[in-house]
Amino acid sequence: MTRTAKSVSIAVTVATALALTSCGGSGGDQTPADAKQTLTIWAMGEEATRLRTIADEYTKENPDITVKVTPVGWDVVHQKLVSAAAAGTLPDMAQMGSTMMGEFIELGTLEPVDTKAFDKNDFFPATWNGNVVDGEAYGVPWYADARALYYRSDLAEKAGVDGAPATWKDLRALAGAYKNKAGATWGMDLQPGSTGAWQAWVPFLYSAGGELLGKDGKPALDSPEAVKALTEFGHYFDAGLSKKNFVVGYDVLKDFSSGRVPMFQSGPWMVQNFAEQQPQLNGKWKVTPVPADASSTSWVGGSSLVTFKDSEHKAAAQEFTKFLTNPRSQARWYEISKTLPANKAAWNEPALKAGGESLAVFRKSLDTAREIPPMAKWNEFSVMIEDALEKVARGADPAETAKKLQKSTESLVG
Amino acid sequence: MSTTAAKAPDDRDRTRPTGSASRAGDGKDRGAPPRRRDRLSTQNLAGWLYSTPFLSLFLTFMAFPVVATLVMSFTDFGLRNVTDPFSAEFIGLDNYTRLVEDEKFVRALLNTGLFVVLGVPLTIGCGLVAAVLLNSGIDRMRTFFRVGFYAPVVTAIVAVAVIWRFVLDPAEGLIAGLAGQLGLKSPDFLASETLALPSLVVMAVWRNMGTAMVLFLAGLQAIPTEVREAARIDGAGVLQEFRGITVPLLRPTMLYVAVMTTIGFLNVFEEPFVMTDGGPSDSTLTISLHMYRQGFDFFHMGYASAMAYVLFVIVLAVTLLQLRLLKDKTR
Repeated sequence: MTRTAKSVSIAVTVATALALTSCGGSGGDQTPADAKQTLTIWAMGEEATRLRTIADEYTKENPDITVKVTPVGWDVVHQKLVSAAAAGTLPDMAQMGSTMMGEFIELGTLEPVDTKAFDKNDFFPATWNGNVVDGEAYGVPWYADARALYYRSDLAEKAGVDGAPATWKDLRALAGAYKNKAGATWGMDLQPGSTGAWQAWVPFLYSAGGELLGKDGKPALDSPEAVKALTEFGHYFDAGLSKKNFVVGYDVLKDFSSGRVPMFQSGPWMVQNFAEQQPQLNGKWKVTPVPADASSTSWVGGSSLVTFKDSEHKAAAQEFTKFLTNPRSQARWYEISKTLPANKAAWNEPALKAGGESLAVFRKSLDTAREIPPMAKWNEFSVMIEDALEKVARGADPAETAKKLQKSTESLVG
Repeated sequence: MSTTAAKAPDDRDRTRPTGSASRAGDGKDRGAPPRRRDRLSTQNLAGWLYSTPFLSLFLTFMAFPVVATLVMSFTDFGLRNVTDPFSAEFIGLDNYTRLVEDEKFVRALLNTGLFVVLGVPLTIGCGLVAAVLLNSGIDRMRTFFRVGFYAPVVTAIVAVAVIWRFVLDPAEGLIAGLAGQLGLKSPDFLASETLALPSLVVMAVWRNMGTAMVLFLAGLQAIPTEVREAARIDGAGVLQEFRGITVPLLRPTMLYVAVMTTIGFLNVFEEPFVMTDGGPSDSTLTISLHMYRQGFDFFHMGYASAMAYVLFVIVLAVTLLQLRLLKDKTR
């Protein structure tokens, strides 16, 4: 063997060995679903403890599959997942927050969902669509957090306003009445910039008929609808109905309960928070779908269940995902965690039918709500929106801000 | 007098592994080249073995990241490269030229400069005053006050944030309450573009003055009483004694405190991170915070690395300048 041939053959061997070891996890050693195995799943915050309960129930029915739930804090999960992806130490499955989806799809670490095993029509469209890139779904919706409007019904009565605000006009009127007739300091809570402010504005954008990304996949943030939504958002600050100043860590619940800020938008978890932290408010507040302009369209957050490409337990992961997303478990999950089922059929289960008025509002919102499109650079995209909102809240011209926002986000997509 | 003045810088050098001691060693070797080969001889093997734990830790956790960051700063290392680091492309100085055009970076640079210009003199001043008072003025409860002033240094930033949010809260905070007693209205410190940064400076000074105080106390106690006595016999007043005796003899301590405090303030991160998140309108965005966001929120690792090196150069330049300006000119 000549020297070159020798080194070539060594190179080939090494390359093959490398290729084999790197693919070993994803291709070769798949454990069948009926073999004895341990399935590792990362879950966030409170969900981890609750998931353990339901996972134990699953193991009782399927003794071969032991589910190990690893709790990870919401604040660190993003970094932990990225580090694990870099180190190749990802678990088999994870709970994935809706806005993180795009990034991990881009990283190429997620196993596409087998559409023969899961039917997209079983789920609310927004929850499913938030996981789809180029026609391929990468996660199965687990629970859905639609945003809605919470308001103090007792103070509305005091201010002489009947019924829930259904339109933007009603909303303005109610905010004004709160401030002028019911002694509230502010009419409504809208976060004027800083992390998370986009959450307050997107309902305005969607209700005006606008979108974050247009049909061409480019940002649509300078559309007339987006400008209209920015203008409406800005009005609350111009008119002194919302506080321009925001301090990190602000908890609206305290001010809501004292009546200083009698209106805010948030997700379904607040129902539970009210019951636990402000029981004296019982009967003094109501929740209603986000007020409509062209339509009443909220957005959906929440979490999906993903399986990682390198997992050796994909079959078991699929079984467990099926279990967690079937109507019966989803209803059980609602009982444990009070988060809303992403599976439509689960809403016919008794636990949800008995959920009362607030739950019906969220059910209604979920039907019309839309997703945050999965974007690899969502973090940056959202910060751009937040910067623009801060400018508008401080009096900048909405149309001009929208133009700048459009320009600064164009490079982040596609 | 000269013995004490010489003693303090020795203490300082011992705390800095790369100080003059190691440099002196290099100089000696250069004078006697044949000894160099002996370094790896069997007699030295034991020494090398003893240093292995340190060396391996240093190389893995210090030297490697430092070099990797430098290399990364010339690449477009981003999210995609996390799973496949070697596919990052070299883009030369692009990251550095982009920094100049980055409005937020320029803003962060200015804010950090303000932090340093306001914070460092205040920290040193407060630390020095506290130390002088504790050294001579207060006899009773000395330990109590020492612990009191030092406590913020060792308190977790999260707890500090809770306390300061309460202090600065415009509705029911400590300052608002006091202002209310006087019939005044407290501004919303953290939400105001002009007041947020000064508020954080005050908080940072409060957190850091304990360190300065402890160091100054040690320096003050090293000043021999004879010198003070001599000054007093010569008729020096309190202020004259302070200016003529205390400050000059504290110079070595002063240099150390100034350098460390300045480095601390150039790297300021925790205060804006927990209190304002850089807002409102980036008025409290610092270089470190901007870097953190670019690196860990957006995964622009290459860009963040470039920023880290710019900050490093600034720290180095400022430190060298201070060493030059504050060095002991009496020797």
